[in-house]
Amino acid sequence: MPAQRLKSFAVRCWILLASLQVTIVSLVLLMALVVLCTLAQTDMGTLGAVNAYMRSWVVMRQLQGIPFRLPLFPGGALVGLVLVANLSAALVRRFEFNPRKFGLWVVHAGLILLVAGEFVTGAFQVDTRMTIEQGQTVDYLESYRQMELVVSDLTDPARSEEYGIPDSRLRAGAAIPLPGTPITLKVKRFYVNAALSPRGPNDPPSLADRGVGAGVTLTEAPPAASDKEVNATSAFVEPVAGGRSYGTWLVSAVLGAPQTFMHEGRTYMLSMRPRRYHLPYSLTLKKFSHDIYPGTDIPKNFSSLVHLSNPARGEQRDVLIYMNQPLRYDGKAFYQASYGKGDTLSVLQVVANPGWLLPYLSCALITLGLLLHFGITLFNAIKRREKEAS
Amino acid sequence: MKLAKLFAWLPGLLALAAALATALPPGPVRGFDMDRFGRTPVLEGGRVKPLDSVARNALLMIRGKQGVPFEGRQLGPDEWMLDVLFRPEAADAQPVFVINDPDILGLMGLRQTADRYFSFDTIAPHLQEIQSQAMAAQALESVQRSRFQNAVVNLFDRLVLYNHLENSVQLADSPGLFAELQGLGGPQSAERDRSLAEASRFRILPPLPGQSPDAWLNTGEALIAAASGTPHPALVALATAGAGYHAGQPEAFNRGVAELQGLTANLRPGALRHARSEILFNRVQPFYLGMVIYVLALLTLFASWLWRRDLLQPAAFSLLAAGALVHTAGLVSRILLQGRPPVTNLYSSAVFVGWAAVILGVILERMYRKGFGTAVAAAAGFASLIIAHHLAMEGDTMEMMRAVLDSNFWLATHVVTVTIGYSGTFLAGIIAIAYTLRKHIAPAPDPATTRTLVDMTYGIVCFALLFSFVGTVLGGIWADQSWGRFWGWDPKENGALLIVLWNAIILHCRWGDYIREKGLMAMAIFGNIITSLSWFGVNMLGIGLHSYGFMDQAFWALAWFDASQLVLIALCLMPRRFWAARLN
Repeated sequence: MPAQRLKSFAVRCWILLASLQVTIVSLVLLMALVVLCTLAQTDMGTLGAVNAYMRSWVVMRQLQGIPFRLPLFPGGALVGLVLVANLSAALVRRFEFNPRKFGLWVVHAGLILLVAGEFVTGAFQVDTRMTIEQGQTVDYLESYRQMELVVSDLTDPARSEEYGIPDSRLRAGAAIPLPGTPITLKVKRFYVNAALSPRGPNDPPSLADRGVGAGVTLTEAPPAASDKEVNATSAFVEPVAGGRSYGTWLVSAVLGAPQTFMHEGRTYMLSMRPRRYHLPYSLTLKKFSHDIYPGTDIPKNFSSLVHLSNPARGEQRDVLIYMNQPLRYDGKAFYQASYGKGDTLSVLQVVANPGWLLPYLSCALITLGLLLHFGITLFNAIKRREKEAS
Repeated sequence: MKLAKLFAWLPGLLALAAALATALPPGPVRGFDMDRFGRTPVLEGGRVKPLDSVARNALLMIRGKQGVPFEGRQLGPDEWMLDVLFRPEAADAQPVFVINDPDILGLMGLRQTADRYFSFDTIAPHLQEIQSQAMAAQALESVQRSRFQNAVVNLFDRLVLYNHLENSVQLADSPGLFAELQGLGGPQSAERDRSLAEASRFRILPPLPGQSPDAWLNTGEALIAAASGTPHPALVALATAGAGYHAGQPEAFNRGVAELQGLTANLRPGALRHARSEILFNRVQPFYLGMVIYVLALLTLFASWLWRRDLLQPAAFSLLAAGALVHTAGLVSRILLQGRPPVTNLYSSAVFVGWAAVILGVILERMYRKGFGTAVAAAAGFASLIIAHHLAMEGDTMEMMRAVLDSNFWLATHVVTVTIGYSGTFLAGIIAIAYTLRKHIAPAPDPATTRTLVDMTYGIVCFALLFSFVGTVLGGIWADQSWGRFWGWDPKENGALLIVLWNAIILHCRWGDYIREKGLMAMAIFGNIITSLSWFGVNMLGIGLHSYGFMDQAFWALAWFDASQLVLIALCLMPRRFWAARLN
C-alpha cells in the first residue's frame, strides 16, 4: 500500500528530524564553521568571513583548475535552520510534564529563540554611522557600504537641493530621470570598486570628456573584502537635459574636487558619497572628549556631548554618549565608535536592529532552564548519596 | 590517632609559616635602606605604584627575572634600580639583557654560549645596527616579521626602556641633581631639563596641595618649574638621596629617602599607604609561592601511592589547602590593590583559571576523598601559575584598563563567569588525563575508582557548560550595550562559543548513549585543546591584536600542548596496557 508506505516514510522522517543524531551532527558542523570563519577572518575581514560562512546557506569556494565555484560545506544559515527544526521537533515530540525534564525543555526553547534572533539580526539589522564635527549639526546617517550618486542644485547658496541615486540603481545603460528637474542621467559605466590614477601618456583616452575625469585612468577593482577598506565606487555618467548632452563625467567616491555644470541658469554638482538616510531629528556635537590615563597614551574614555533636537516632538536635550553607554532613540542605538581631526570630530555607530530584544529573552529563558535543571539534578544526587551512605 | 592527624596538617602549616616569613622586610644592603627607597610612590603607566614595582616589572621585561647575579652577589630589583638611576656607569656593566636569538648574537659578533645575559656595555657598540634593523622590522606587521625581526624589535624595545629608566631622575651623564639645581638658568640647562622631562619613565614628585591628584611631576618637569621660580619641596631630598648613593654614603642616602617619604606622606598619604601594601605583595610573590606549594602537594600525593597512603594523602591535601590559601590571598590582594574584579588581562585570567580549578578540586576531594581531587587541583594550580609567571614578562600586570573595558560591572560578571567556564573545561580534561594515565599504569583495574572519575568528569562538564554558556551570553549582552550587536562572530566570541558547543556535544553524546566511559574521557581531553585555542590561540591570529616575542614562544608551547593532548586522547582510547597484550 503506497499510502501506508508514505505514512511510514513520514514517520521515519519525523523521528529523524527530532533525533539526537541530527543535533550532534549539526553542533559538530557548527563548530567546524565557527573555526573556519575565525581562521578566514585574517584574509577576508570579519564581515566577509561571516557572510561567507555564517550567513550563507552553502559555503561556495573556487578551487584551482575548476572554472566555477563549488559548494563545499553547508553554510551557517542552513546548519542553524536544521538545528532550529531539529530542536523544535524534539521539543514537540518529547514534551512531557516531568519536573526532571522541564528545565531542559525551557533551555531548548530559549536556544531556538537565540538562533532565531541571529536570523533576524542577519536579515534586518542596519548598521550606519554619523560623523559630526564639534559645533556641527547633522540630521542624516551614512551607510558603511552603500554609495549614492548625488546631483546637487547649488543655485541658491542658502538652500541647496540634493537628488540622491542609490548605487543599486546605477547600472551601465540605465537612464535615470531626476524628479522635479529637467535632467536625466545616463549611466555609461558603473564600478563597485575601482583604482584611480593620473592618466599617463600611454594610457587609453578616458571615457570622460568633461571635469577631472578626463585626466584620470580607471581600472576596475574587486569589491573591498576587509572591514577596513572602503570601496572607491565610481561611474561614468552623462547628464542630459532638454535634448542637450552635458558631456561624460567621471564621478567617484575618491574624487574630492567639485564638478559642476550649468543648465538654464541653474548650477548642478555631481558627486559620489556614502549613502545618506535623513532623520526627522538632528544631533549637534557640543564637545568630544578623549581622556587618557595621566602620563600615558592609554585611552581612559571617549565621550561625545551632543544636543538632540527633534522639533516634531518638541524634544530639545543634551545627551552624553560614552563607552558602554549608547543613546537609544527612535529604534536606533548611537554608540561612540571613533574619532578624528585632532579630537574635534566624533564618529557614532548607529545600529537599528528590530530583533535586539530576542537574545535578552532567550538568555533569560536559558538561564532559568539551566538553573532549574542543574538544581534538580544536584538535589537528586545529594539525596542519592545520603541514601547510599545510610 | 590524633598524632596522625597532626602529622597530616603539619606540612600545610609549615608552608603557610614559610609564606609569612617572606613578608618580613629585608634589612639594609651595605647600610643603604633600599627597601624604604623601593616604597617611594611614583606615577607610572597611569597609576600610582611603589618604585619597587617599576623596578621589578622593568627587570622582568629586560632580564626575565626579578634579580641580577653580579660579582658573586644577587642584586635585588631596588638595588638595580638605584644603580640605573644614580650610578649608570655601574648599571651598564651588569648583565641584564637576556638574548636567546643566535642571529642577534651573530649581529653583534658574539657566539651562542651557556651565558645568555649581556650588559649594556657589551651591546652599546652595536646600538646603531640594532636600531636600523629594528626600524626596518617595525615597518612590517608583527605577523609578517621573521623570528630574527621579532627578536630584534624586542631587544630594541628593551634598550629603549633601559635608556628611559637611566634618564628618569637625572640624565645619565648628569653630575647629579644638586649640580643641575645650581646650574638652573645656565646656558644648556633648559634644554637638558626638557630632554629629561621627555625621557623620564616615571613621575616621582607628588602633586602639591590644591593641585589635581594626577599632577605628579618627573624631575625634568620639576627642574623646569624650579627655573621659573616654583621649586618642588621634595627635589632637594631626592638630590640628597641620589648624591648619597652615588658617593657610597649610606647615611646621606637614608636621610634623603626618609625626607622624601616624609614629604610624600604629608602631600599624598594615600599614595604612600598604597605603595606599602603593594610592596608587601611584591615581596611575598604569592603566585610564585603558591606554585611551589602546589608542586610539593603533587609530589607528596605521588609518594602516597607508593608508601603510607593513610599519612601522605591527607598531608598532600593539607599542602594543597595551604597553596589554595596563599593563591586566594594573592588574588584578593590584587583585587584590593587594583580596585578591579579579579580578571582584567591575560595574566590575571591565568591566575584566576587556576584558582577556580583548585577550588573545584578541593571540593571534589572533600566529596570523594580518593586523592584525585588533590592531584588534579595541584596540577591545575601549578600549570596555570606557571603560565601566569611567563605572561608577567610583558610588563605591569596591573595595567590600566582601556576605555571600552573600563567597566567593573561587566568585568565582574561576564569575564569572571566565562573564565570559570575555562577552569571547568580544563579541570574535566585533567581528570580525564588522570583517568587515562591510571588506566595504563595501575596494576589492577579498580571499577569503583573509575566510576568516581567518570562521575567527576561528567559533573564538571555540566558545570563548565553552565558557566561558559552564561559567560558567553553575558559577553553578548555587554557587546550589545557597547557596540550595538549581541553577536559579531569575532575571534574571541567564537572561541567562547566553541567551548560551549563542545561541552554541549559531550553531554548530548553521553545522554544519547553514543559514548560511554572511554568516549566521555577522550572528549573531555579534547576540551583542553578547544579551551587552550580559544584562550590563547585567538590572540595569535593577529586580528586587531598584537603579538610580541612571548606570543611567538607561546605559539610553539600551544602547539606542543595540543599535540600532547592528541597523544593522550589516543592513549585514552587504546585498550588497557595495549602494549603488554601485544607482547604476550
